Amino acid sequence: MTSSKLALTALLAALALDAGAATGRVFVTNEKGDSVTVIDGKTNKVEKTIAIGARPRGIGLAPDGSEIYVAVSGENKIAVLDPKTLEVTRSFPSGDDPETFAVHKDGHLYISNENDAKASVYDPKTGKLVAEIEVGIEPEGVAISPDGKRAIVTSESTNMLHIIAIPENQVVNNILVGARPRAATFSADSKLAYATSEIGGEVKKVDVESGTILGRMSLADDKAKPKDVLVSRDGKQLYVAGGRANTVFVLDANTLEVVAQIGVGKRVWGLALSRDGKRLYSTDGADNQVSVIDTEKHSVTAKVATGEAPWGVVIDD
Amino acid sequence: MHSHTKCTASRSYHALALLAVLLWMVGGVDAATPLTVRVAYVGPAESDSLAGARQGIAEGNAQGKFLGLVFELTDSRDVATALASAPVAVLIDLPAADVMPSAKQAAGVAVINTGAEDDPLRARCAPNLLHTLPSAAMRADALSQWRQKSPQSQASAHAWHWRAEMYAGAQLNKRYTDKTGRPMSDQAWAGWAAAKLVTDTAARLKSADPAALLTALREDLAFDGQKGVEMSFRPNGQLSQPLLLVEQDDIVGEAPVRGVATDLDSLGTGDCAP
Repeated sequence: MTSSKLALTALLAALALDAGAATGRVFVTNEKGDSVTVIDGKTNKVEKTIAIGARPRGIGLAPDGSEIYVAVSGENKIAVLDPKTLEVTRSFPSGDDPETFAVHKDGHLYISNENDAKASVYDPKTGKLVAEIEVGIEPEGVAISPDGKRAIVTSESTNMLHIIAIPENQVVNNILVGARPRAATFSADSKLAYATSEIGGEVKKVDVESGTILGRMSLADDKAKPKDVLVSRDGKQLYVAGGRANTVFVLDANTLEVVAQIGVGKRVWGLALSRDGKRLYSTDGADNQVSVIDTEKHSVTAKVATGEAPWGVVIDD
Repeated sequence: MHSHTKCTASRSYHALALLAVLLWMVGGVDAATPLTVRVAYVGPAESDSLAGARQGIAEGNAQGKFLGLVFELTDSRDVATALASAPVAVLIDLPAADVMPSAKQAAGVAVINTGAEDDPLRARCAPNLLHTLPSAAMRADALSQWRQKSPQSQASAHAWHWRAEMYAGAQLNKRYTDKTGRPMSDQAWAGWAAAKLVTDTAARLKSADPAALLTALREDLAFDGQKGVEMSFRPNGQLSQPLLLVEQDDIVGEAPVRGVATDLDSLGTGDCAP
């Protein structure tokens, strides 16, 4: 590569970085505080607490980072936040009791409607309903595969992972797992899924196409009510929020063996991982705080006070 | 114009039918040949147990429709009639004196008692008799734990309460009350739990075989009764479960009572009479 080409490449890279300049902020929904806490990702200082409406739970980032979406469960709507100005810019109806959602790379939101036994797909640009998908009772966790071709919705009271084809928005497979499945996530190649069962106290590894269960790990601590699950950036480890075990479990993604336990605050539910994979945030609901975890040292480096009963967390990086 | 519209409608109907067949062929929802699984109820023509069982069966069908199973609840006054429909299990809401004879009559089929709390019925340990309603001993232990903490309390111990909110109790109460117009009682919960744990287990077995179901219920159950813990049957057939302490129609506590006991085994016993 010639030096002029190199300079041009560097310039283009800098421009691209600037255009999508992420704020580095961490956004946390407070289920009982009816607010969103905004934390500076570098200093761990709270920048602002934004009143958002009754019972905010799920939270997600637009694919281009331009908007933050918040499921305001008690008001049956999605509120939209500007991550730069920290203003609520608009909201749109989202079906009954939106609990949580995942954002597809095309921008659509896949939302679980807890009281309606269905998932709904919304286009946040227009606020219009794109599709409704019938699922089991008390749908909860939603995940979308990195290739954008599959979604998983968990139904807590019918103990299933519903595999949904995108863009058809049709259920193509249903996998029975342990009692009260709460969250799921995909491997980077979209072929595997990992799911937690809160009452079953387990993590399952599933082949997405065949629906075959490839592995199961019961978390030995009987207080463990696993909720959120994420895959590390290198794909080698899983992070599992342990609920009332007040612990984030680190599992080997291949064998599902527990390789580390990180003590955090009480009733840990939500997790978010930084883009570089080095920082993990957990919402410690009963302690009204977020724990910041160093994923190399497997230790808590900071605790940040939030509003009441923090639930979901997302990082704008 | 008219015939053109008709033609389009018919074409799109065919396209839909083709799509349904294709979805079935790729191993999606196997609705083409559903397996029918019958669950029998024996008891009064109207009871909270029956209303709860209906709710549990409806939820079983909300699961079964994705897995190729259809659950049917038969409703009769006596066990002989119930057995004629070849049920996978029999739920009963009968006077205590009729429980053991019913279990004998339905030998080999799970009989789930949702209406009698008598301890001797548990101690008899009939191989096919299970109980979702808490025993009198469980309720007594819950109260005695609670009184260690609140000696003046007038609370009573219950399987369920219409104000239960935690662990998705609110969602279950809403589903039941929307359907029946009534608050969910202890017996309604026991009926719901019996039907739900039967349907969830039959769905996992993909079978209507009573013997396979009875073995799975006794040995492999990990049931979410929407009370925050995994529930299973004790050796004497009693479903272990937390109880709610209720005073003036509101929940004041939960047993095992924190600080007094930790374990579900602190409520009642799993033992058989010698």
